[in-house]
This record gives sequence, structure tokens and C-alpha cells, in this order.
Amino acid sequence: MLKVERRALTCLLLAVMLFFGLCYFVYKMAINGEEWTTFKGNMHIYTEGQLNRGSIYDRNGEILIKCTKEGILYSDNAEVRKSTVHTVGDIYGNIANGLLSRKKSDLIGYNFVNGIYSPDGSGNELYLTLDAKACEAAYNALGYNNGTVGVFNYETGEILCLVSKPTFDPMNVPSDPEDGIFYNKFVQSKMVPGSIFKLITAAAAIDNIKTLEEFSFDCDGSSEVEGDVINCTYAHGTVDFKEALSKSCNGAFGELTIELGADKMQDYVDKAGLTQSYNINGIKTEPSSFEFPTDNNVHLAWSGIGQHNDLVNPCAMMVYVGAIANGGEAVKPKLIKENKFSSDSLGSYLSKETADRIKSMMKNNVVETYGEDNYPGLDMYAKSGTAESGNGKEANAWFVGFIENQDHPYAFVVCVENGGSGSSSAGPVARKTLESLIK
Amino acid sequence: MVNIIQGNSMSMLYTTGVRWILVLLAGYILIKAIMSLLSTRATPEVWAYLHIENGDSLPITHWENVIGRSSSVDLRIKNRSISRNHSLLIRNKDGTWIYEDLDSMNGSLINGEEAQGREKIICEVGDEITMGSVSFTLFPISLEEQRNNKQMREMDKEPVSPWKILVALSIFQVLTVIQLIIGLGDRYIPMVAVCFFVLMIMMWFYVFGFRALGSRGFELEIIAFFLSTISLAVVASSVPDMVFKQLVTIVIGIIIFVSMCIFLRNLKRAKLIRPLLIILSVGILIVNLVFGTLKYGAVNWLEIGGISFQPSEIVKLAFIWIGAATLDELYQKRNLTIFMVFSGFCLASLAIMGDFGTASIYFVTFLMISFLRSGDFSRIALTLSGALLFGIMILRFKPYIADRFSAWGHVWEFADSLGYQQTRTMTASASGGLAGLGAGNGMLRHVAAADTDLVFGMVVEEWGIIIAALMVLCIITFLLFTNNSILAGRSTFYSIAACGATTILIFQTMLNVFGALDFFPLTGVTFPFVSHGGTSMAVSWGMLAFLKAADMRKNASLAISNRVKHIIVDRDIPEKDEVNIDA
Repeated sequence: MLKVERRALTCLLLAVMLFFGLCYFVYKMAINGEEWTTFKGNMHIYTEGQLNRGSIYDRNGEILIKCTKEGILYSDNAEVRKSTVHTVGDIYGNIANGLLSRKKSDLIGYNFVNGIYSPDGSGNELYLTLDAKACEAAYNALGYNNGTVGVFNYETGEILCLVSKPTFDPMNVPSDPEDGIFYNKFVQSKMVPGSIFKLITAAAAIDNIKTLEEFSFDCDGSSEVEGDVINCTYAHGTVDFKEALSKSCNGAFGELTIELGADKMQDYVDKAGLTQSYNINGIKTEPSSFEFPTDNNVHLAWSGIGQHNDLVNPCAMMVYVGAIANGGEAVKPKLIKENKFSSDSLGSYLSKETADRIKSMMKNNVVETYGEDNYPGLDMYAKSGTAESGNGKEANAWFVGFIENQDHPYAFVVCVENGGSGSSSAGPVARKTLESLIK
Repeated sequence: MVNIIQGNSMSMLYTTGVRWILVLLAGYILIKAIMSLLSTRATPEVWAYLHIENGDSLPITHWENVIGRSSSVDLRIKNRSISRNHSLLIRNKDGTWIYEDLDSMNGSLINGEEAQGREKIICEVGDEITMGSVSFTLFPISLEEQRNNKQMREMDKEPVSPWKILVALSIFQVLTVIQLIIGLGDRYIPMVAVCFFVLMIMMWFYVFGFRALGSRGFELEIIAFFLSTISLAVVASSVPDMVFKQLVTIVIGIIIFVSMCIFLRNLKRAKLIRPLLIILSVGILIVNLVFGTLKYGAVNWLEIGGISFQPSEIVKLAFIWIGAATLDELYQKRNLTIFMVFSGFCLASLAIMGDFGTASIYFVTFLMISFLRSGDFSRIALTLSGALLFGIMILRFKPYIADRFSAWGHVWEFADSLGYQQTRTMTASASGGLAGLGAGNGMLRHVAAADTDLVFGMVVEEWGIIIAALMVLCIITFLLFTNNSILAGRSTFYSIAACGATTILIFQTMLNVFGALDFFPLTGVTFPFVSHGGTSMAVSWGMLAFLKAADMRKNASLAISNRVKHIIVDRDIPEKDEVNIDA
């Protein structure tokens, strides 16, 4: 009898296995719940392969997409649809980086406690920080050109406008899509920045070159570095540091870059947050990339002017100019409206003094070069860029900056592909977009 | 009535709130029952003393005892003239004892007469037994001790009173029916409500009836009734038309349960029927092999007169019955050989049928029972390696089963082919969350075998992970309870049978749950009491009878005759003042 009693204890082994298996499953269910519930085989949330719950609105409650069991509803306005599709995403998942894919478990209302239960099966409503009108304005302002426009509140991080072109209408996804329509340039691309990169070189120069006050450079349209030539658009004459930025003198910035050296430059692109990837509510941005050679001063000079192998992500550039506007402190960009008023700080990208000095120089750019009259009603601070795309086409036009406005503290980035000269091509796009937000 | 419930916007709110109420009720019912079962402690009683000539006395606390020098015997005597397992001493129902020498080295003498090899000799208290060079006297326990025994049994924790739990379960059933009316919508048929009502009535009748006959412990049955309720709801959700049939199988299950309990009361009777069970089992398996029909890749179905059932399921009951043995039988080669040959036959039949899941259940149960019987690891290792080869052969010749193995562990890569069922099960489970989506609201029911092989996922989806986990904990409790109650076991026959039955229940639960969730390959095994399927339901109730027969709590079990218990406990014990007079 005793033997049988003792041997019976081996049965406990099975019980222990079953118990731990059960615990492991609950654990897996908690960890993988989002993935499991959003799986395409979930007949609760898909009707004939289309999501049947969840809706996305802009910041003013304008409908962007609404999924119901009866079908999908979109904005009536085709331009709104086209200008927001890269953020919202499409129901077929062509845009992998859209909120429809990234926030699917939020949209269907999944959480571990309730599963996907909702009394009427309508899922969740997602309110974005985007302003549909601003997106539409930016889309229209780009006209026939491709490119990207981004505007965000540099105090709160709310992205108000995010447009990428070429685009498409999510109501009629083309069966034979042209190249790049599913690609969100603002988030995923990195492009040659041209002169807008001088904002980073300037910051490095302010912090590190002690003789900057006495800096002067004689520009005769082209300068020689180790037998190679650095060109300017025209002979700028004798420029000091401030004029070097407002006239965007390549020769002057080339010299400053060489004086700073490769290590300092690498240090400052890292400090400026350009080489990191931002996570915007689950959408991850492409980090910018640079190459600052230590053994080739011409290449180093060009890399400090925003050419050579410089490739900048538009979103990261926007966050950087936002930090300049915000006294050096950068704010994490976001797309989904939250009930809290605080912002997520990314820390100081620049010292207060450096930020303020660049800020005054950016004002000077507008006053001296771009013309304040071109931006009526906007207290504009900016830097333009004309980036050679190198494929024989017109250069890409950049315009980055911010406006000083207590109610509308907005920083922006605009890139008009093959738009030619920076301020004259990209400047109006920025103006039209900002105007739509302010009035 | 149905229209009122369905055509109202209140119905939406009903599910929202009631799914949590159902979780609370289930928690109350099951935790009460589980706690009551687990708080049981076995009180070893002293039945007699083995008085050694030098003055020591060994208390005899079991009905079936091994005497010897080994550390694993019940009555240990450290004397070199005594063999490691010298002899058996087994109590009879009437208070006499049976002595049997186990071919010991130096033999035994009863009152000076030599006990011939393996001869069963009836002893009474006062008899002198000589083993080797040591003499013993069988002493009765004193009147005081008899009374202490009685008092100790009365001090045993009473099983939890069933009434409140039954009320909770009844509310649970009513709320479930209303939920099904809402959840099923157009698919609802009145038969669903009727079946739940009949189950409820049956449950009350059962408890009332056996309570009136003196039984006090109903936790095992209440758990089974709860699981059967979930089963009805699962069937109602997946195929409403089949609810009535499922109810009928519950009724058959209860009849089997009660009959087995009563039959098992008498150990002699239970032992005698085994040859008949062997013949019937072998017969039905052969009929299955010859006339069986193919379903889901295995030829394990038999259809007689429009009723189809799985013989291999029913034989599980006989398998345990045949595997169980009293202590004296454990020392007979013949008994073990019969069990080994019978097991081999069953496994071979299942292999031919291609029922890999059931074959593995038989195999694990066989291992467990033979280990309980012999404790011999080397033989088990040998059997295991043999079975491994056998298993590989099955996989080679049954491509259908091999397929299931090929997707095992990475079903998401085969989400629309071999992993279709498991991926849907996981998706459905996560969709259900803690409290589920409400009975009748699931999507997993559209997937093949949702209410059988994938039933765990279906329960998580419609009832939530809490109730599903409680179901598994119930099965685990069955085992813990069994392990506890065999400490006061009457006979190894009941102990082995109860352990065998819980092994089947637990292993089956494991295969079902882990298979649906891709921890194991999907083997197509049912969840005891819950899965849709008549044979499985009836056999689950039958398994419960083995557990009931090992339940030694006072008046707790209907599988133990009250009359017998009174004879044991109260026999010839005078009232207290009478003792004083005697003294």
C-alpha cells in the first residue's frame, strides 16, 4: 500500500506540466494578444477581408476613415484623402507605415482584459493631431511637384500637417501603381539637404570657433580647397558669419567646416538628433546618414554645406528647427491626440544661447534674403536649401524654419522635388500651409 | 419571450455586464468545490497491532499491508531472517485478516503451522505468526482506540454543503440561456432552453436523491455538472440542433457514473468482472477494426443502428478497471501479464485505426498504471523505447499524422494550411480576453472541430480565459484530491484505478489544450466533459466513478456503501457508559 501511495506522487508531474503549460499560454496571450487579434483570420474584425471596426478623425473631428460592417467610409474631399493617406494608411496594407496598420489593435479596441469586446462592435475612435485642411492646403500648394511637407507644434510635438507626394486616392487604389505612391517621404526618406544643413554647421561653429566674431570670408564665387573648387551661386564679396548664412555662402561654410573637423561635425549631427530614428506613435522614421572624411578636406567641406554624402530625413530636420525655436529643447513629434497637455521632451539639442543666436540669424535670412513681404502675417524664421539631385533634373528646393506666434508655435519642413531654387519654390508652399493653420 | 430579449438594445448591455457576472459565479462554484476537495485530509486509522515478541507493537494502518525488511513496506521489521518483502496481511470486510507468504526465504508459521507458498490463510486477532526467526501476535485495538477512530472520523472536515453552490450553478445556467438567446440570434431554437432546464432539474434531483440516501460529498459531481453546462453552451453555439443529443449523452454519462459507483462498492464483485471486461473490450475493438468508419483520418468510429460512437473511448474505462489490482494480485505474475498483453492489444488496435491521440493516452496511462503496480523503472524505460520505435513507424505509414507534426511549433508560418486551426484558436482566444465575448458570439465555431479538438479556444473566446483556466484547474484538482484520498485507501485496487482515471483526464486535457495552442501537435483529443461528443462525455462521467470510489471521507461517497462503513466504524463499540461498567 505504501509503495503505491509513493508511486502515485509521479502523477503530480503531469499536473505540474499542465499547470505550467496553462500559465505559459496566459503569458503568451498577454504578450502576443495584439498580433493574434489583428491577424487576418480574425473573422470578428474583418468582413470580406476588410476591417469592420475603428475610425480615424483629424484634430477637428473631420472623418478620415471609418470602418463599419457595412463598408468603409472616407472623407468626401478627394484632396483630404490623398493628402492624409500616408498617415492614415490604406485598408489593403499597402502603406505598411500607416496608422491603420500600426495602430490596428487600438482601432479594434483590443486590450488584454476585454479582448476585442465592445458592446456594439464598433471599435475605437482615433483622433489625430493632423489638420485635414492644412494637409489639403499643403497638397495643393505642391501643385504638380512631388515632395513632402511637415508642420508641427514645437512646444507640444503635435504634427499638424504631413503630406507626401506622389500619392493616391485610398478610395481607388490604382491597380498599376506608379513608383513611390505608397512611400511616406516625410517618415521614410532621406534626401540631400543642401544649404538647410548649414543650420547644423552654424551651431557647431558658434559653440566651437572662438574667433567667430572676427570671422570674415572673401567670396569671389568660387574658392579653392586643396586644388578643388567650392562654388557659390555668385560672388558674395566679403561676408561675416551672419551674412555667410543669409547669403548661404558655400565658401565660408566650407572653411568653417574644415576648421571644425570631421569629429565635431559627426558630434553635432548626433546632437541635433538627425542620426536617430523617431517613433511617432509606432511609426518609425528613417535615421539620417552622413560621412565626414578625415583625409579629404574638399569632401569634408561639401559635407558641411549639405552635399557630399549627406542624406537627411525631413522629419528629423523639422524636429531640429523646432528645437531652435524652442530655446534648444527638442520635443518628440506625435500624431495621435492625447488628453494630457504635457509634451515628451527629447532633451536639449542646443544650448539656449546657441539656439537664440541661430534664431536671430534665421530671422536675418528672411529679412535680408527671402523678403518679409513674401510672408505677410507670419513672423517667419527660415533657411532655404537648393540640393543638387544630380540626375540632370532641377534641384530639390528646401525650406525649413518656424514662426513666432504665441497661439501657433509651428515649425515646418518643406521639400519640393525638382522645384529649383529653395525659397522661391518651397517658400510659398510653407506660407500657404501655415496660413491655412493660422486663420 | 425570445423576441423581447433579442429585439432590444438592452441585449447589448446584457452581454457587457453578464459576462463578468458569469465569471464571478463560475469562480464561486469552482473555487468552493476545489477548496472543499483540497482541504480533505486522510486520517489513517489503526485497525490492529502486530505485537513483536520482544515487546514492540507495530500499528497496522492500512487494509492491505506488505510485511518485510525493506524500507518501502507498510510494516517494517529489521531482522535478517525476514525477507525484504516477506508476506502480505490483508484485512477482510468482516474484520478478519488474510495472511499470504510471498515465497520468502525463511517462510512463515501461523499458530505453528507452516504457510505453504502463496497460500491465503485466514487469521484472527490473537493468532501467532512467525516470520523467519521472529514471532508476532495479532492484537486487536482497544475499545478506547476504536472510539478514538470514530471520533477522529467525525472530526474530519465535512464536505462543503452543496446547496448554495447549486443555487449559484442554477443562476449560471439561466443567465447562460438568456445570453445564448441573444448571442445565437436567428440560430436560436427553443430546444436550447429546454435542454438547460432539464440539466438543471437533473442536477437538483441527483443531489437531493443521494443526500436523502446519506451521501454528503458532491464536489466532484458539481464540477462535472458545471463542465457539462459549459459543454451544452459550446454545442448550442456551434450547432444548436445538436444540443438535445449532447444532453442525452450527459444523462447516459450520469447513469454510467451511478451504476459504476454502486458496482465498485463491492471489491470482490469489481475484481470478478474483469475477465468479462477483457472479452468485451477485445470484441468491440475487433468489431471496430473490421467495420469501423473513417472520420478525420482515423478509423475509430462505429455505427450501430444510426448511433455512432467511439469504441476506443469506452474501452478506456475497461482499461483502467483491468489495470487496477489488489495488493495480493500485484505479487502475481499472471495478473501483470494479462494487463500487459491486453494493453499491447489495445495499442496495436489504435495504431491500425490511426488514432494517434487516443493511442498516446492509452500509452501514458499504461505507463502510469504499470509504474504504480511494479515501480520498476527499467521495465518502463524499455517499454518507452519500444513505443518510440512504434511511434516512428506510425508516423512513417500514416502521412496524415506526420503532416500534423510538420507544422508543429511554427503554425503561424502555415497560417492558411496546416496551422489553420491553431492560428484561429489563438486569434479567437486573444479576442475573448478575460471574460469572453459571450456565448454564441464566437467566430471559432466556423473552424472545423472547434467544439471538439479546439474547444479550449472556443471557451476562451466565448467565456474568457478565467473560466477556461478554472476548467483546467478543476481537472488538476481531481488529481490532487485523488493523491490525497488514496492515503486512506481501502485497497490498491481503488487507488490504482483512481490514479489511472485522473491520469487519463489530465493527459487528455493536456493534449487538447496544448494541441489547440501549438505546444503539442494537434492530435484530435477531446477535453473531458466539455468537448462536443457523446462517447467522450459519457466516458468522462465514468472516469469520475473511479475517483468517487477512492473518496474515503465519512459518508462522502456514494461509491462506498454506508452499511459497510457503519460496520467498520461502529462494530461492537459500546456506548461510553457501557465501557465504564466493563472497566
